[in-house]
Amino acid sequence: MKGKSTCMKMLLGAGCLLIFAGSGWGTEPDAYGIVRQSRDLMDQARDSVAEMTMTLVNPKGGQRLRKLITYARRDEDGRDKSLLVFKSPPDVKGTSFLVWSDPEGDADQQWLYLPALGRVRQIATASKSESFMGTEFSYDDMGTHDIDDSTYTLLKSEEIEGVGCYVIEARPKEPHSYGKMILWIRSDNYIPVRTDFYDLKGRLLKQGRFSRIQTIKGIATPTLIEMENLTNGRKTILELSNIRYDTGLSEDLFTQRQMMRGR
Amino acid sequence: MVRRGLLLPVLLIIALAAATPVRALEWEHPGGTMSLSGYLQAGAVLACDRHTKDEDPSYTFGLQLSADLGPQASGFIALTGRDDGTVMAPQDGRLFTDPHGVYQDRNPCLNVDEAYIDYYTDRADLRIGIQKFAWGRLDEINPTDNLNPEDLTRATLEEEQTRKIGVPAIKTNLYTDLINAEIAWVPFYVPYRLPTSEERWFPPLLIPPCCIQPRTLTDDIPLTASYRDVERPALTLAHSQLGMRLSRHLAGWDLSASYFRGYDPQPTMRAPTLILIEILNPLAFDYTARAITFPTPSLHRIQVFGLDWSTTIGGLTLRGEWAYADGKYYLRTLSDVLRREASPQREEALMRQVIERYLRSGGSATSQTILVEPQIETQRDSMKYGLGLDYMRGETTLSLQCIQEYIPDYPRYEHLYFNKKGLDTTLTLALRHFLLQNTLELTLAGMYNIEYRHYLVRPSATYRFSERLQGTLGLIVIQGKFEDSLLGQFRDNDQVYAGLKYSF
Repeated sequence: MKGKSTCMKMLLGAGCLLIFAGSGWGTEPDAYGIVRQSRDLMDQARDSVAEMTMTLVNPKGGQRLRKLITYARRDEDGRDKSLLVFKSPPDVKGTSFLVWSDPEGDADQQWLYLPALGRVRQIATASKSESFMGTEFSYDDMGTHDIDDSTYTLLKSEEIEGVGCYVIEARPKEPHSYGKMILWIRSDNYIPVRTDFYDLKGRLLKQGRFSRIQTIKGIATPTLIEMENLTNGRKTILELSNIRYDTGLSEDLFTQRQMMRGR
Repeated sequence: MVRRGLLLPVLLIIALAAATPVRALEWEHPGGTMSLSGYLQAGAVLACDRHTKDEDPSYTFGLQLSADLGPQASGFIALTGRDDGTVMAPQDGRLFTDPHGVYQDRNPCLNVDEAYIDYYTDRADLRIGIQKFAWGRLDEINPTDNLNPEDLTRATLEEEQTRKIGVPAIKTNLYTDLINAEIAWVPFYVPYRLPTSEERWFPPLLIPPCCIQPRTLTDDIPLTASYRDVERPALTLAHSQLGMRLSRHLAGWDLSASYFRGYDPQPTMRAPTLILIEILNPLAFDYTARAITFPTPSLHRIQVFGLDWSTTIGGLTLRGEWAYADGKYYLRTLSDVLRREASPQREEALMRQVIERYLRSGGSATSQTILVEPQIETQRDSMKYGLGLDYMRGETTLSLQCIQEYIPDYPRYEHLYFNKKGLDTTLTLALRHFLLQNTLELTLAGMYNIEYRHYLVRPSATYRFSERLQGTLGLIVIQGKFEDSLLGQFRDNDQVYAGLKYSF
């Protein structure tokens, strides 16, 4: 699927944070080119597996930990599939979440398996801007997006922690849960380092930060992602480990059968 | 009844929560990973109604051991131990719950919820052992889900999967590009469970009246009950149970068709009754009489043909389920049974029998025992179907369901329990809202029956103090206009309950 983010997004479970990252391929990179290049840079794998530690931080600093395994794959027909399996804490262990994106851009299909129910349940979200399972990531953040769905403007260049970055404004062409996003992309290697999310009224909602970049099989991969919600003071931190790309994940992994196995 | 304290277990749970590090109990072994998880729970009930049985604090623990047995196999064992406040008498020194008994107490007991081995291949899975199934798409009431009987020792207050009793079974799942098939074979029958008659959640409908009022005779006949356990079917192929379910995902729809042939998991009863007559003065036909009834769980084989489906439309999830039950038995109401069994004609025939015996014995048969078997069951095919709708917005989930049972040939001159004139319609509500970054969970569950106008309302709050420790406070309100309705019989069982659960 031209322009869509794939396994890296799904691997991180933080989709659109990375979708809009990229770099141009001319001597004078334009905003769209930067985004596309960065996306291509980080979206080379056909499938991926990673272990994830999710830390939910409340405004008082209290923390709650969740451990997951994430699997992602792109089918031949361009359908992106991802599977999240919770390993801890005990009360959510075995819970799994399966997403099939629609190659035509229609609504994703989602299933949730709760061991306490013993059934896989098809789910629909009324609003994609809502929180995903208590985190500061929204369902929209977890979904798939086409980079051609937004327009991009190169605002300026500035340094973040001593590193030069392009600062790009992304505005969705169609009504969206965010009014705009401001992306900071390193000018030396086109890796995203920060994204600010604004609501439709132009108020800053959330800040996403990407760090601890590792190059795995030639793919630059942020292994620490922080999403801070500025409206409620809460934060979600994702730490990725044991990341593997192109291990040949089978299509059969992304099925209700595997959700119930909890692997 | 000996009152048990709650303080010590609660302190133990808090100490465990404070002392244990937050990490999974997992070990690597040559075949893969082995993990142990479980919980320890203490609960207390405050009965709200004056005319109700009391309940002691209860303590429960659960252990789940799962192990990889190589790349293609795994094993799982789940045990539950209980020292349950609803219990009045110890269960005869047995360690494990009796898998063959209906009337169970749980003071204390150990139950094997599940214990099975899985074997996986590319296109098929095989599971052998004690297991639970979850067919259908509705919540709590699944007409297509009949392989597991239920533990009703606390009526239907426990969650659906907790209520289910694991059955020994062989199950295979076959996966093809066209369709997925699940075939389950249960070689021998495991009965549902009811509490003993002294307990809080024993169904009052199973308690007979204190006396029978004859139509033609002068005095009432005192009636007592002696509950007999189920008579197990023989261990033969003909008594085994079979289930099959075909599923596929098609254009956004999850679709399934199922078939079940086996014993109806819903309780019905026989009531053989002994009438003891003592002739005091034959010339004046002066006598005394009393009766003992023996309510006995009765088993009936049924066939159930089912369909279920789910899909999403916009922000809504729609779920549906339909089942046709062939050969199902229903209980006739007590008034209906008495109207038929205690008719003047029946009484006259009974007394004629007594007199004939007396005369044949030459006057020696002054004490006589007569066995009668009132027809309290009736067989009717039926349909049960329902529609569910889920709406999820942020931290709030709302589920609504409408479930109806329809008996096409409802007997015109009879009355059955739990189905009025062929229809029984239940509406359910489940509202769940998370607060404080999923640490506080507020739920409101409700059920209303249109025909019998009974309802259940169950609000609760669960707070997660840490990854391992959570506390719950809830209220159960049950009301019903009719004492002989499913919920109306429990209308004196309103309660406030609290629980503390430590998970690891």
